[in-house]
Amino acid sequence: MNTAMTREELEQILDQALQDVTEHTAGVRLRQKDQPLGQDLCTVHITFDAGLSTSLTLCADTALLARMACNSFHEEAVTPEDVEEFSNEYFNVLCGKVAGAIFRATQVSAHFGPPTFYHGRYEPEGQEAQFVLTYADEHSQGAQLIHHLARPAQDGAAAGGT
Amino acid sequence: MSKRIMIVDDSRLVRVQLEDVLKGTDYEVAAYCRSGEEAIEQYESVKPDLVTMDIIMRGMDGLDAAEIILKKDPDARIVMVSSLAYGDTFDRAKAIGARGFVEKPFHREQLEQVFRQALS
Repeated sequence: MNTAMTREELEQILDQALQDVTEHTAGVRLRQKDQPLGQDLCTVHITFDAGLSTSLTLCADTALLARMACNSFHEEAVTPEDVEEFSNEYFNVLCGKVAGAIFRATQVSAHFGPPTFYHGRYEPEGQEAQFVLTYADEHSQGAQLIHHLARPAQDGAAAGGT
Repeated sequence: MSKRIMIVDDSRLVRVQLEDVLKGTDYEVAAYCRSGEEAIEQYESVKPDLVTMDIIMRGMDGLDAAEIILKKDPDARIVMVSSLAYGDTFDRAKAIGARGFVEKPFHREQLEQVFRQALS
């Protein structure tokens, strides 16, 4: 993100926000663990449109998001629409926590747009991942929080990149 | 007598969370709107004691919707409930006349305290 923060400071803010919001919103404890995600995934993506030129993406096992949605809605089972609705609000709150922490640290006031939900893995166009934080819960279901920045324009790209 | 609340939030999850938190209190949910436009349309007929207003919603955002409601009814009691509780967003909410700000994720004590202040 375009702040005076180090990568380590930003990672710490993202990690704290994810753990706090996940536990508070869905009663699930996620811990950083280097474990590959499964095959059935969903992605939520938010672009910061002022103050910070960046985006955050959460890619998670659908089963994990479904369990979190069940906990939050107090339901035994949830529909795919419920999972989408839960994921969007959960990630919206998480990004708010992140933006608030960055504001307290740097006085940079960041705004972001509504989240976008995708089935499967989604890579935002024209951006590249700066770092990935990988998590798992006690059922070994996982999530990745990915920080993206706009890909720098390459010399000669406008002329066809030859 | 219980206080009637209009929830404005595009997330059903927030409605569930607010209903959970307000269970057993003197507040009842009188209406639920999923957009700023819907809130403006329904405010007159619902006449709630208090409005909880999200900020980031598709279409008109909550700050614009709150401003329009407050222009029509300067006595409207609107509390912003949002994850954007800082900086210029916080300042604008105060400037348009919102009676309080609750940061998501919210807690019962925090919510009740802000509601009490907004209604006093």
